[in-house]
Amino acid sequence: MNELAVNARVVRALGMRSIRQTFRRPQLMAPILIFPTLLLAIQTGGAGGAVHLEGFPPVQSFLQFMLAGAMMQSLMLAGNSGGIALAVDIEMGFTDRLFTAPIPRYTIVLGRLAGTAALGLFASVWFLAIGLIFGAEIHSGVPGVLIAMVLVTATAMAVGGIGAAIALRTGSASVVQGLFPLVLVLLFLSSAFFPNDLMIQPAKAIAEYNPLSLVVEGIRGPIIADVDLGELGAAVLAIAGIVALGLLLSARALRHRLRVG
Amino acid sequence: MPAIVVEGLERSFDEVLAVQGVDLEVAEGEIYGFLGPNGAGKTTTVRMLTTLLLPTGGRATVAGHDVVGQARAVRASIGVALQEAALDPLMTGRELIRLQATLQGLPSAAGRERADQLLERVDLEEAADRRVGTYSGGMQRRLDLAAALVHEPRVLFLDEPTTGLDPVSRKTIWEEVRALNEDGTTVFLTTQYLEEADQLADNVAIIDRGRIVAEGTPDALKTEIGNPHIQLQLAEGSIAKAEEVCARVGRLLPPVDGRTVLVEVPDGAADIPRVVRALDDAGIAVDSLELVRPTLDDVFVAKTGHHLEKEREDDEPEAVEA
Amino acid sequence: MESAAQPPEWRTNLATIGALMARAKNELLRVPGAAIPGVLAPTIFFLGLNGVFGALTQLRGFTTGSYESFIVPVSMLQGAGFTGAAAGVNLARDIEQGWIDRLLVSPAPRWVLLAGNVLAASARALIPATFVLTIAFLLGASWPGVDGLLVTYFMVAAMAAVAACWGSALALRFKSQSAAPLMQAGMMALILTTTAYAPLALLQPWMKSVAEVNPVTQVIDAARQGFVTGVSWTETWPGLLALLALLAILGAWALREMRRTAA
Repeated sequence: MNELAVNARVVRALGMRSIRQTFRRPQLMAPILIFPTLLLAIQTGGAGGAVHLEGFPPVQSFLQFMLAGAMMQSLMLAGNSGGIALAVDIEMGFTDRLFTAPIPRYTIVLGRLAGTAALGLFASVWFLAIGLIFGAEIHSGVPGVLIAMVLVTATAMAVGGIGAAIALRTGSASVVQGLFPLVLVLLFLSSAFFPNDLMIQPAKAIAEYNPLSLVVEGIRGPIIADVDLGELGAAVLAIAGIVALGLLLSARALRHRLRVG
Repeated sequence: MPAIVVEGLERSFDEVLAVQGVDLEVAEGEIYGFLGPNGAGKTTTVRMLTTLLLPTGGRATVAGHDVVGQARAVRASIGVALQEAALDPLMTGRELIRLQATLQGLPSAAGRERADQLLERVDLEEAADRRVGTYSGGMQRRLDLAAALVHEPRVLFLDEPTTGLDPVSRKTIWEEVRALNEDGTTVFLTTQYLEEADQLADNVAIIDRGRIVAEGTPDALKTEIGNPHIQLQLAEGSIAKAEEVCARVGRLLPPVDGRTVLVEVPDGAADIPRVVRALDDAGIAVDSLELVRPTLDDVFVAKTGHHLEKEREDDEPEAVEA
Repeated sequence: MESAAQPPEWRTNLATIGALMARAKNELLRVPGAAIPGVLAPTIFFLGLNGVFGALTQLRGFTTGSYESFIVPVSMLQGAGFTGAAAGVNLARDIEQGWIDRLLVSPAPRWVLLAGNVLAASARALIPATFVLTIAFLLGASWPGVDGLLVTYFMVAAMAAVAACWGSALALRFKSQSAAPLMQAGMMALILTTTAYAPLALLQPWMKSVAEVNPVTQVIDAARQGFVTGVSWTETWPGLLALLALLAILGAWALREMRRTAA
C-alpha cells in the first residue's frame, strides 16, 4: 500500500476517534450549541428592531441576518473545544502513544481536526434548521445551504488548527479553556452580530480588518441575498489565511512539543 | 446511659440494601471498633449516626438524642473525622480549626485559645499558619482530628482514620485516640485494619455486606473461634496434593492465595510434627511453616466464609506494635 | 474546658456567616488570577454589546442617546449573575471534595450555611460591577447620581444573592460541577430576556411577552433609572419586589435542597 494511502488510513482512524469523543460527551457539546442558540434567541428578540435602522441591509428578518453569526460563534467554540481535547490527550499521555508510533506528525493534528470539522458541520445544520423552523428563509436556496455548510466546516477546521497549536504549545487544557473569552472578543470585533457600517468606533474599525468578518459575510451572503462570488472568494481567502496561520503555529508547536517531551 | 444505641438500622440506595438491620450499643467511655472490608456498610452506618444520611429503617440515638428527630442536638454532641478528610487546601491549619470552633458555637476568644491548644496537642504548631494544601497526608489527618475535638465532644466518630497513612503516622493517631479515651471520650472507630481494631477497641463489631456478623471484645471473639492453624508455603504444583494430605490430618481452611495451605489443628504446636510427617511421607516439600493463632480475620472467615484481609484493596505496610 | 456562658444563638449564627464569608474570600486572594474571569466576562459583554448594538439608540422610541448608559446596568447585573453562579460552582466543588460534610455535621442551622455562601457572592459581585462601571464612565456613560448609584449597587448585590441561591440549589441537587453550564446559562437567560438590549416597546413581540412577565425586567429598569431618567420610588419598588420574590423562591429551593442532602 503506498504511503499516502497508509497515512490516509491513520488520519481516518484518528479522525473517527476524535469524532466519537466529540459526540459521546454531550456535556461538552451542549455549551457549543446551547450557548450560541441562547444568544441567538436573546439578540434576535432584544435587538431585532435594528432592521429598521437606516443603512441596515435588506433582510427578511433579524433572525435571517443573525444565523451566520450564531454559526460563527459555534464553530469557534468547536475549535476551542478541539484544542481542549488535544490538550487533555497531552496531559493524559495519549499523544506520547501517537508520537512513538511510525506515523507522520501531521496525521495527529489532522485526525484531531476531523472531530472539529464534524462539530462544525453539525453546528451549521443545527442553525440552518433553527432558522427554517422559526421562519427564516435561505434566500439562495440549496446552493446557499451548501455554501454555509462548507464554509462553516472549513472554518471550524481552520480555527481548530489554531486551537491545536495552542494545545501543543502549552500542553494544558485549562489554558486552552481560558481562551474562551477571546472567542467572544473576536466575534464582537467582527460583523458577526451587526452590519459593519452600523457598528460603533473603535469596534467598527477593527471589524473592518478582522478576517472573521470576511468569513461571516461569506456565510451570510447567500442566506440573505443571492450568491456573490466576490464575497465568497473573500471568505475562502480569509479561511485560507487562518488555515495557513494554524498550520504554521501547529508545526512550530509540534516541534516544541517533541523537544520538551 | 449508653453513648450510642442502634436498633434495626437500615439504609437502602435504590434497590441496594447497604445496611441491613444493624443493632449495637456503645457504652459511655468505650472505644468501639467497627471492622469490615470495603463496601461492608461501615461508612454508611457512620454517616447515619452523624446525621449526614437519613436511615430508611430502624432508629439510633447518639449521646441520648435521636439522629433523625434531634439531629441538631446530635451534631452539638459529636466530633467527626470522616474517611475523606474534609479540608480546604486554601485555608491554614489555624484558620480551619478556628472556623470549626465558630461552627460549633464557641465564642471567638475561646475558639482561638482552643485552636492553639489543639494545634500543640497534635504537633502542628509549626505548620499552623501554612496552607493545608501543603500538608502531608498524616498532617491532614491530625488536623482533621484536632478539628473534630474543638468543642470537646462526648462522642467522637473516626471513619478509617489511618487508611493510607505510613506506620509512624498511624501510630501517632493510635496514641492520640488512646489519650482521648483516657480523658473520657467515647470513640466510634471504623476500620478495615485488623491490627487497629485489635489494638484500640474495647469492643468490636464485624460487619459484612451490611450486617453485623460478630460482636464482642477482640479476645472473646478470637477465643470463640478457638483453634490455631498451620500456614504452609509450598512449591507450585503441589498444592492440590498437599490439601488432600492435610485434610486427613486436620481441618482445611479457605486458602489466602495459590501457594499457601491453611490447616486448623486442635493441639497447636503439638500437631506440627504430625503435619510435617504426613507431607514428608507424601513427598511434598514445604518452603515454610508457621503456627498462627486466631486473629479477627479468622473470626471473619468463620462468620462469612471469606477473608477480610484478601478483600483489602491497598497494600498497607505492617502495623506497628503499640 | 470550662463552658463559658454560651453566646445567644443569633450571635453564633452571625459569627458563622461571617466565618464562611471570610473563607469564601480566600479564593479571590489566594488563587492567582481567580478574580479575572468574573471581571472579564461582563466587561467583554459591555464593550462588545456597546460596539455592536450601539446604533440602536437611533431607533425611534429609544429612551436615551447613550447606549453605554443604557446597558451598563445590564452588564453590572450580568456580572452579578456570573458571580452568583460561580458561588454555586464552588459549592459543587466543596460537595465533590467532601468539605460540605464538615459544615453539615456541625450544629449550625442549614440556613446559616447557605447564607454564608450567598452573602459572600453578594459582596464579591461588587468588584466586577465597579470595574464595568469605571469602563463605562470612561466611555461616556452618564453619571447616575448618588441615589442612582446606590440603587444600582443594591440591585447588583441582591441579584448576586439570587444567582447564588440558584447556583447553590443546582449544586446541592446534582452534587457535581458538571451542572456549571446550567448555572451560568440559567442566569444569562434570566437577565437577558428582559429590556436588556432595548426598551420594552422596541423588543420583538415574543421577547416583549417574555420580558413583561420576567421579574428581572423590573430589576433592570430599577437599576437603569439613574443612568437614563432619574431615580423615583415608582421605578424602584417593582425591582425590589421582584428581587424579594426571586430570593424567596430560589432561597427556599436552595434551603430545601440543603436540608435534603441527608436523604
